[in-house]
Amino acid sequence: MKQTSTGKFSVSRRAVFAAGLSAVAAISILATGASYAQDALGTAEQPVEIRMIANEAFANQWQTNMVPEFNKVYPNIKVTIDGVPYAELLAKSLLDATGPAPTYDIIIADDPWIPQLASAGVLVDLKKDAAAWTSADYDWADFNAAPLAAGEWNGVQYGVPLRSNLLLMFTNKALYEKAGLPAPTPELTWEQFFQQAEKLVQDTNGDGKVDAWAVDTYFMRDALTPTIWQTILNSNGGALLDAGNKPTFNNEAGVKALQTHIDLLKYAPTGAVSHGFNESLQAFRQGQVASMFMWGSVFKGTAVDPSTTTLKPEQVGIQVMPVGSKSAGAHRGIWSGAINNKSENQQAAWALLQWLSSKEGEVWQSNALGVFPARKSTLATTPEHEWLKPVFAALQQGYDAAGEGQMWRPRHPKSDAVQQVLADETARAVAGQATPQEALQAAAEKIEKLLD
Amino acid sequence: MATVGRSRSRGAAKLADLTSRWAFMAPATIILLAMLAYPILYTIEISFSELDLATFTATEWVGWDNYIEVLNDARFWESLRITGIYLVLALPLQMILGFGIAFLINANWQGRGLVRALFIIPMVVAPVVAGGVWRMILDPLWGLANYVIGLAGFEPLDWLGNPSLAMLTVVIIDTWRWTPFVTLIATAALMSLPKDVFEAAEIDGANWWTMFWSITLPLLLPIIAATFVVRWLGAVKMFDIALAATNGGPGAATKVINLFIYEEAFRSLKFAESAAMAVIILVLTMVLTALFLRGSRKLEEMY
Repeated sequence: MKQTSTGKFSVSRRAVFAAGLSAVAAISILATGASYAQDALGTAEQPVEIRMIANEAFANQWQTNMVPEFNKVYPNIKVTIDGVPYAELLAKSLLDATGPAPTYDIIIADDPWIPQLASAGVLVDLKKDAAAWTSADYDWADFNAAPLAAGEWNGVQYGVPLRSNLLLMFTNKALYEKAGLPAPTPELTWEQFFQQAEKLVQDTNGDGKVDAWAVDTYFMRDALTPTIWQTILNSNGGALLDAGNKPTFNNEAGVKALQTHIDLLKYAPTGAVSHGFNESLQAFRQGQVASMFMWGSVFKGTAVDPSTTTLKPEQVGIQVMPVGSKSAGAHRGIWSGAINNKSENQQAAWALLQWLSSKEGEVWQSNALGVFPARKSTLATTPEHEWLKPVFAALQQGYDAAGEGQMWRPRHPKSDAVQQVLADETARAVAGQATPQEALQAAAEKIEKLLD
Repeated sequence: MATVGRSRSRGAAKLADLTSRWAFMAPATIILLAMLAYPILYTIEISFSELDLATFTATEWVGWDNYIEVLNDARFWESLRITGIYLVLALPLQMILGFGIAFLINANWQGRGLVRALFIIPMVVAPVVAGGVWRMILDPLWGLANYVIGLAGFEPLDWLGNPSLAMLTVVIIDTWRWTPFVTLIATAALMSLPKDVFEAAEIDGANWWTMFWSITLPLLLPIIAATFVVRWLGAVKMFDIALAATNGGPGAATKVINLFIYEEAFRSLKFAESAAMAVIILVLTMVLTALFLRGSRKLEEMY
C-alpha cells in the first residue's frame, strides 16, 4: 500500500480521503445548520412571521413602539400583535393553543395563568427546549426571584417576565400635609395607617363638607378585589393555601385581614363599595383621596401625564403597602411571555422574548415605554426619567416583600376559579351581605371542593 | 296508458317542485343547522361530559354529574332568584312604559317625528358604553342623578353600592335601553288599528276611556302578547348591562344567571358545569315561552 509520508506522521490515502470527506460533510452540516439558524430567524428574501396574543391594554403600544425597536436587531422577523380584552384573553389563548394549528406563536399570560396553560401541555420549556437558541449573555440569575417565578410551574420555566407589576401604596403628599401628617414611609404599619386615616377624611376647602378621604381601592365584586385582603393576610404571615392546596385562610388571621379590608371603607369616598380599578384611580387622580392601593403601573398616568391626572410627580408617593405583623405588603402581577410548543417559529418567537426580557431590552422598555422591569440590574440603573426613580425603589422593596411572603395568586391550574370564588365571597362580606367569618367559611368549602 | 303517463308526469312535476323548494331552503337550513343546532348539540354533549382543556373536547361521559353539581350549588339558585327579581321588575315596567309612550307619541303633535328618531338612540348604544355612562350618571359623589335629586331636597343615594338599590339601578338602565323597542312596535301597532271602528264608537258617544278599554286594548292584545314574548326572550339572556354597570355586585346583588354562567365558563374555565347550567336555562326558557305563547293564544281567542 502506497503511503503518504509527512515527517513524523504517515497516513494512508484512504484515511486522507476519509478525513477529507468528513471535513466536507462537517462543513456542509455546519453550513446547513447555520443556514437553518439563519432561516429560522428569517432572511431578507424570506422573513419569518410570528403572531402574539396579548392584553389589548398594551398590545397596541407594543405593536407601535416595541416591534420597530426589535426589528432594528432582528429585521427579518415580522411581528403581529393581536390585542384581546383581559376578560377573554385566557379563554382565547387556551382555545387557540389547544387547537391543531394555533394562530399564535407567543402567548402573553397574566400572573396566575402559566400553570393553566402549562397543564394543558401547550408551552415550550424555555430553559431546556430553547437552550440552544439562548444567548450566552442572557442572565437568568439577574431576574428578581418573584417576577421570574410567575413564569414557572412545577420546576419548569415556561415564561419570562415582560411587563412587571406590583400592588403598591400610592400617597397624595399634599393631602397628608393638609391634614398635618407626615408623608408615609415604607415602615408605615396598618395600625398607624388607620390612626392617620381619621384625620385624612377632611374638608379641604372650608365649605363645611367633607371633600377628601383617606383611601380608595378595589371594593367591588371583581377578581382582583381579593388581592387586597390577600396581601394584608400575607403581610401578617398568613397564606391562602398550604402545600397540599388546602385552604389556610379560614381562621382568625383570615378574618382579621378581611375585616381590615372592609374597615378601609369607613375612610373611603361615599359609594366606594362599588369602586374598582377605574373609580379608585379617578378619585386619586382628582386629588380626592390621600392614599390608594393600586397597581404600580398606573404611576405615570397618575403622577406625570397631565392629560390623565391633576397631580404632579412631587405630590405623589409610591411605596410598599403597610407593614403587617410579619412584613410590608405587595402583590405580584407579572405578564409573562411564553411560546406555543406547536409553533413552527419557536426560535424566532424566543428571539423576541429573549430580546425584550434581556438587560438591554428591559432598560429600553422602561425608559421608552415606562414599563416596569424585573431585573435587579435594571432596577439598579438610574432611569432616564426622574419619576421612575421612586418607582424603581418601591419595586425593589415590593419584589423582596412579595418573594419572601409569596404574595401572589394561587399557583394552580384552577387559579382563576379559586380567585372567582374568593371574589364572590369577599364581595358579599364587603357589601355587608355576609360576615367575614361566613364569607371565608363558604369560600374555604368551595375551594376545597374545587381543588379536591 | 294515457293515465299512467299523466300520473308519471304529475309525479315528475311534484318531484321537480319539491326539489326546487328544497334548493331554495337548503342554504338557510344548512346555515341554521351550523349556527344554531350544532352549538346547542355541542353544549348538550359537553354538559354530560368532562371537558379536556388540552384538546378542548368532551372526553369522558359523566352522566348527570355536572347537572347534580350545578343543582347543589347555592350560587346557581341565588342567581336564578336574582334573575327572577330582575324579570319581574323590568318586563312589566318596559311594557307599560313602552305602550304608554307609544300612546303619547301617537297623538298628533309637532316634533313627534324627531322624538321617535331620538328614541332609537338607547337601542344602538353598545351595552358596555351604556353601563359606563350610567355608572358616571349614578356616581354618588359627582353623578348627575344625585345632583338632580339633591335639588329636590333628597339625600344622595348610593345607586350602585347599596345591594337593594343596585338591582333597581340595573332595571332602570335596562328599561332605558329597551323601552324604545317596545315603543316602536307599539307605535306601529297603534297606527295599523282600523280607524272606522273608532269613528263608529265616537258616533255612538263612547268616551276616551271606553274606546281605550273596549277597542284599543283588545285589538292590541295579540301585539302586546307577542312583544312581551320577544322582550322576555331578550331579557332572560341579559347580562351585558349587569357586567358593565355592577359586575354582578355589590356582593351578589345583581349576579343574574347569564353573568354567573359566563363567569364560570370563561373566567373559572368550568365549561362542562356551565354547559349544564346553560341547558337547564334553555329548557326552563322554552317551557316558560311555550306557556306564554299558549297564554297569548288564549287571549287572542278571548278577544
